[in-house]
Amino acid sequence: MNLALTWRLLKGGGKGMLGTWLTLAAVAVSTALLLFAVAANFAFEARGERGAWRNPVPAASGAVAVQAARYDYVRDQAITVVDLAALGRAPAPPGMPRFPAPGEVWLSPALAELAARLPAAELADRYPDPAGVLGDEALIHSDELVAVVGHEPGAPALTAKRSDDWVISKPPAKVADLAGAPSEDSQAYRVLALIASVLMVVPLLVFGGAAARLTVARRDQRLAALRLVGATPGQVVAMTVAEAMIVALAGALVGTVAFAVAVPLLAGIEMQGGPWFAADLFPGPLVLAAVLVAVPLLVGLSAVIGLRRVVVSPLGVARRETPPAMRFVRVLALLAVLAVFPMLTRGSSVTVIAVALGLAFLCVNLAGPWVVGMIGRITAASARRPARLLAGRRLVDDPRSAWRTVGGVALTGFVAGFLGLLSPGAFEGETGPPQLRVTAPAGQMTKVTGQARERLERAKVTATVEASDQVVVAALGSSADAAAVDRARTALAGLVPGRTPTTKTDDQRFGVQILADVRVGTIVVLSVSFLVAIASAGITAASAILDRRRTYGLLRLAGTPLEVLDKARRAETLIPLAVMGGGAILVGVFCATPFMLGGISTVGAVTLLACVVAGFAGVLGAGALSRPLLRSVTTDPAPRPD
Amino acid sequence: MNDVLVGRGLAKRFGQTVALGGVDIAVRAGEAVAIMGPSGSGKSTLLHCLAGIMKPDAGEVHLLGRRIDTMSERRRSALRRTRFGFVFQFGQLLPELPAEENVALPLMLDGVPRAQAVRRAREWFAPLGLQSMEGRRPGELSGGQAQRVAIARALVSRPAVVFADEPTGALDQRTGHDTMRLLAEATKHNDASLIVVTHDPEVAAWCDRAAEVRDGLIVPSGVRA
Repeated sequence: MNLALTWRLLKGGGKGMLGTWLTLAAVAVSTALLLFAVAANFAFEARGERGAWRNPVPAASGAVAVQAARYDYVRDQAITVVDLAALGRAPAPPGMPRFPAPGEVWLSPALAELAARLPAAELADRYPDPAGVLGDEALIHSDELVAVVGHEPGAPALTAKRSDDWVISKPPAKVADLAGAPSEDSQAYRVLALIASVLMVVPLLVFGGAAARLTVARRDQRLAALRLVGATPGQVVAMTVAEAMIVALAGALVGTVAFAVAVPLLAGIEMQGGPWFAADLFPGPLVLAAVLVAVPLLVGLSAVIGLRRVVVSPLGVARRETPPAMRFVRVLALLAVLAVFPMLTRGSSVTVIAVALGLAFLCVNLAGPWVVGMIGRITAASARRPARLLAGRRLVDDPRSAWRTVGGVALTGFVAGFLGLLSPGAFEGETGPPQLRVTAPAGQMTKVTGQARERLERAKVTATVEASDQVVVAALGSSADAAAVDRARTALAGLVPGRTPTTKTDDQRFGVQILADVRVGTIVVLSVSFLVAIASAGITAASAILDRRRTYGLLRLAGTPLEVLDKARRAETLIPLAVMGGGAILVGVFCATPFMLGGISTVGAVTLLACVVAGFAGVLGAGALSRPLLRSVTTDPAPRPD
Repeated sequence: MNDVLVGRGLAKRFGQTVALGGVDIAVRAGEAVAIMGPSGSGKSTLLHCLAGIMKPDAGEVHLLGRRIDTMSERRRSALRRTRFGFVFQFGQLLPELPAEENVALPLMLDGVPRAQAVRRAREWFAPLGLQSMEGRRPGELSGGQAQRVAIARALVSRPAVVFADEPTGALDQRTGHDTMRLLAEATKHNDASLIVVTHDPEVAAWCDRAAEVRDGLIVPSGVRA
């Protein structure tokens, strides 16, 4: 009987059904974005595992091969070079049909293509006569440049001393298998992905909660009526939760489909120098099932919380009493968390930073409604015109609802404020003519310097070669372009076994790449936050109209101009948006200060500004979209032949 | 001759349903008229046509000699705000505004400065038995008190006509009587005409006369002098 009644309530009809559709859409958007936030972590994990085999783990016993890795460069791209030698019956590395024989070279498809395209003296001569092309299993992304070179176990490339700085190379190690371990950079990316997920998931939860309460808001009058005619609290809760969860499950399914459809697009977002394998972006069936179960459960829970007042008192909602004032302790909680940030440094543990960041985020969300209420009081007290008075009073009346509208952008402001300053152009590129440097073994400096001169002469590259403090420096002429640098690199390849001649820019490539990726990540997080904020604004605006449709209709009947109602709605969003958005950005900037690498970056500041402009425009646009709804609910509020 | 509001030959259909089939009605200055009839008889449609909320399919509506049914929605809306007052069954007060601001709202909409509008609004509270209720919000008022605030709001702009649609429909009998008495007395005291839509004869008894609507037409009915 409960279920039948729930279904009838759900169908509702007319404008009631609109509320259900809005909830469904909100849950769908939330689910799709939640899957994206979750998938990002799995995708980075998948990349880490794909690349793990290139990162040798020394074996205590039972070694089957010797393995080393280093980075080579062409144009502005890095090439991962894996040196391998079999010690017995070594297994085939991932993406290869067999273990490479000594002298054999295998290239990734992108590297093979590049080698064929560039003149041989610039790249192909470094990796002559490739024996085959590496399969996808060997690569972290399809555009990756990878070379696998086979050697004898005693070959200089696998015996010479190498740098043990992981950003430059991995020294030779005897390995028991070719499984390896995820590299340090992949771990760094996973931490960044986790932080990005936290930043995306919190607004999503706020939004999901708002969507759930939308269902309740639609129903509270009717449910209060049900309580008045004798339905037990249990029945009311069961019906509401069932209704919210049915809608949420449908929304979650739609969201999952939307995510699946969007995967090819998302796979195009370049990170670590290339796009994604679509399969890496799909979370496993278990995760998918967990999301499909968790989303309706969370929505159901949110509905229960929203209904608490109806259940406690049948008259509570029907009478629309003044909600209890919010406590200042919410702001104190935020201030307490903010007080922790000056104590953090770039050396603090990632877990501590992530927890502090998450807490600051949640506290901004806690303090938000209190500040909105305060803004409402000031607005109402200073209002001269009806629209501002209405807006101010409404903010005081239900600051949580207003916060749900502006909260998304405010939290985005926090993200933008935090990340905006975290992408400074801290790395200076090489100034002046390019110089290639390679570290030579002690005692061989003169020999290596002479060989370098000879090789460069043969390759017809104009350069001044000098030795300085263990490093052979080949200063190319001021007219040297990228092609000349690559010719010099090719000429000097293998000059010192296991070491790559690099420019200053090459040495900074990893840092530059990770900063570029942080920027891409920032834009992705901002885009997600915006989508949430804008969808949230649209849904809250529509639900506010539906909630007040009788009063709006009667006011319009009594001659209140639509513009006044609309202006009040706009002011109700715009005033807290301006204060809260600006405030949240400042809090974000404050939290980011301990981690800043250098001065404020122009790109960061521009991103921040773009964020503010887009956020305002988006939220106002989403609010404006519900104007036709306002018109329709007020035009003919009671068309009946009575 | 001193008719304030006149409806002539008013007709309105909703699809196949005839709501009004050519109604003639005239309301004099200061007069209280009850429009009675069973549910679905067309009485609310008649009120909506007379108040300029709805355009009739045929017929004319004149307020103080000016035809209003042909005016644009914007002008009719302004007219409703300045020349008419409205009391509905419930739900007309903005829940977030205190009572005095609900009453002051029509004045503010008309450009009266806020302080002055609130001052004028407060003057209505004592005569309507709402002393010390100025700062309360609608949710903190009883049904009868909320209707009295609505009466104050309907009269605060000194309208020519007050329209009341089932003003006591959501109240118990005793409170309904009190409310209706206050409504009738206050409109008369302010020289406004009153048009009340009701199906309750006891409410109609507070009016000078009653017009009975059946199947979209006014039928002869008991008229009180």
